[in-house]
Amino acid sequence: MARPLIALEGIHKRYPMGANEVQALRGLDLAISPGEFVAIMGPSGSGKSTLLEILGCLSHPSDGDYRLDGRSVAGLSVDQLAQVRGEKIGFVFQSFNLLPRLTAIENVELPLVYASTPRRERRSRAENALARVGLVDRGDHLPSELSGGQCQRVAIARALINRPSLVLADEPTGNLDTATGDEILTLLHALHREGNTILVATHDAKIGTQATRVVTIQDGKIARDENREAAA
Amino acid sequence: MVYESLRQALRTLLRHRARAFLTMFGVVWGTSAVIFLVSWGDGVRTMLEVGFFKTGKNMGEVWAGRIGEDFTPAADRRYLWFNLEDVEALRRRTRLASRVGAEAWEMLPAAFGQRALTVDVRGMEQHSQEIRGVPLVAGRRISQADVSHRRRVVVLGDRVRRKLLGAQGGIGSWIRLGGKPFRVVGMLRPMGSQLNQDRMQIDDQVWVPISTVHANWPAWWTHEPVVSKIIYRMVDRHQVDAAEREVRAILADRLQVSATDDEAIPIWSSIHMLNQIPVDQTRGMMWTLSIATLVIGGIGVLTMMLDAVHERRHEIGLRLAVGARRRHVLFQFFVETFAITALGGLMGTLLGVGGCWALTQLQVPDMIPVPELSASIVLGALGVMGSVGLLAGVIPAWRAAQIEPAIALRQE
Repeated sequence: MARPLIALEGIHKRYPMGANEVQALRGLDLAISPGEFVAIMGPSGSGKSTLLEILGCLSHPSDGDYRLDGRSVAGLSVDQLAQVRGEKIGFVFQSFNLLPRLTAIENVELPLVYASTPRRERRSRAENALARVGLVDRGDHLPSELSGGQCQRVAIARALINRPSLVLADEPTGNLDTATGDEILTLLHALHREGNTILVATHDAKIGTQATRVVTIQDGKIARDENREAAA
Repeated sequence: MVYESLRQALRTLLRHRARAFLTMFGVVWGTSAVIFLVSWGDGVRTMLEVGFFKTGKNMGEVWAGRIGEDFTPAADRRYLWFNLEDVEALRRRTRLASRVGAEAWEMLPAAFGQRALTVDVRGMEQHSQEIRGVPLVAGRRISQADVSHRRRVVVLGDRVRRKLLGAQGGIGSWIRLGGKPFRVVGMLRPMGSQLNQDRMQIDDQVWVPISTVHANWPAWWTHEPVVSKIIYRMVDRHQVDAAEREVRAILADRLQVSATDDEAIPIWSSIHMLNQIPVDQTRGMMWTLSIATLVIGGIGVLTMMLDAVHERRHEIGLRLAVGARRRHVLFQFFVETFAITALGGLMGTLLGVGGCWALTQLQVPDMIPVPELSASIVLGALGVMGSVGLLAGVIPAWRAAQIEPAIALRQE
């Protein structure tokens, strides 16, 4: 196995909840290698979203070590974390999270704006990314003028634009009908075959059956970790 | 990054035109109120100064009265008058008056062709004309030579000129004053209403050499050349009381009355009136009121932006998730707030300046104050507006920058 892209060791996450504390994650260990397609499954309240937050460098674990690409992110400042997110992680959300006031191509460009990429390069890379998700002629549409599936493709293009080490998708098909959801899934698979590391948090058993690896979370710990590399 | 933020701020404003305008309205109103109110306050002051100083800037006027009751038995309350020697003496001895002039008055019938009216005739000399400071529209003033030779020459006030000469006469015309021919040598500029006037406004007067009055219409009670009024210009308007005391003391010495008898020698300075009007306080109040308006406008902007930050917390979360630093978010919202304030401020400035300008274009009666716009007022208003914008911008921007990036993952 190659050097892990993601290495979580003894991750704890506690939230204050009124006077009490909620233990969202209780000593979770996980290693993910480059090129894997991992489905993270688990019921609501299992800690799945919290795990995603931490994997996405959106928040720090309360305890434990997280190494992304060999580099520990535990001690990073807020702005350094933002930089890591911008450079190494592409997010895909259930509700797409496109900015309604920006056109599709501007939404795709957004991570490059914060990475201070020159304007012309931004535009050409965004066009390529849109072409990759099959929306080459929809660049100047506003999200409100696109279908749900198209919006999610725009979001995927945005996630890909910085050539991230890791694509994190949170219920990417949750807001879509079955047919459109399948299309998105196919797209994710294609991206996986091109060498992208993809991590999908989902309730959807179908995604589980198609992933190379399924990690099931329960009560803040890993309950099951099935490798289906052979099956895929 | 700066360019992007500006672009996005402007876009957001354009998208929410109605809301942005309503928010801006407070700032527009506040800025125009600052400019308009303060300008108007300045206009009031100018109007008062002009009104009071039309008949002579920093001028004191001295009459001769009767000896005061407190200074003499009732049976001996003599009438007093000044003569030319008293004026000379005052001119020599005073230190707080830079100029001293004499005037002699008569009410006389004036005629030109078949027109006639009774006019206020003022015997003037160099100094009194200088103190009055009324500009001419044609001809010349009463000269020293006119006074020396007791010439029958006359300078006409504007209304007298119009009523008496009409379109027929001009410089060089002959009119009759008290039955005697006088040549018109000058015409005074129309002065309009005066806040400080003795019996007649300048426009209703005619000026002749003081010596000519004495030669043609001597006082019936004395052979002396009587001076109806002494006027002087004080050296320093802040020393108005000292100047009055000094002038009274010198003249009292000449007239053999008490140096503190203000019934014997009444003095009037229009500066007293100006000083009684709380011009500066009024100006301060105008500033305070209008700044308060602007601050209220700023609070409106602040509330709207705090609201917007809350409403757009998912957008902010997303921006943070795709790599925005806290300062990017801070800057974006700050620029947005500042743009609203600045735009409102500029609109308000245009409105205020436009309003002031429109009022100055109107032909208003003499004693209606017109706003007096100055660069310092506009700069002051813009400065206050800028500070309000900064304050209103900092808080929402700071709030926005505190939002947790993890919110991007949460569903609502």
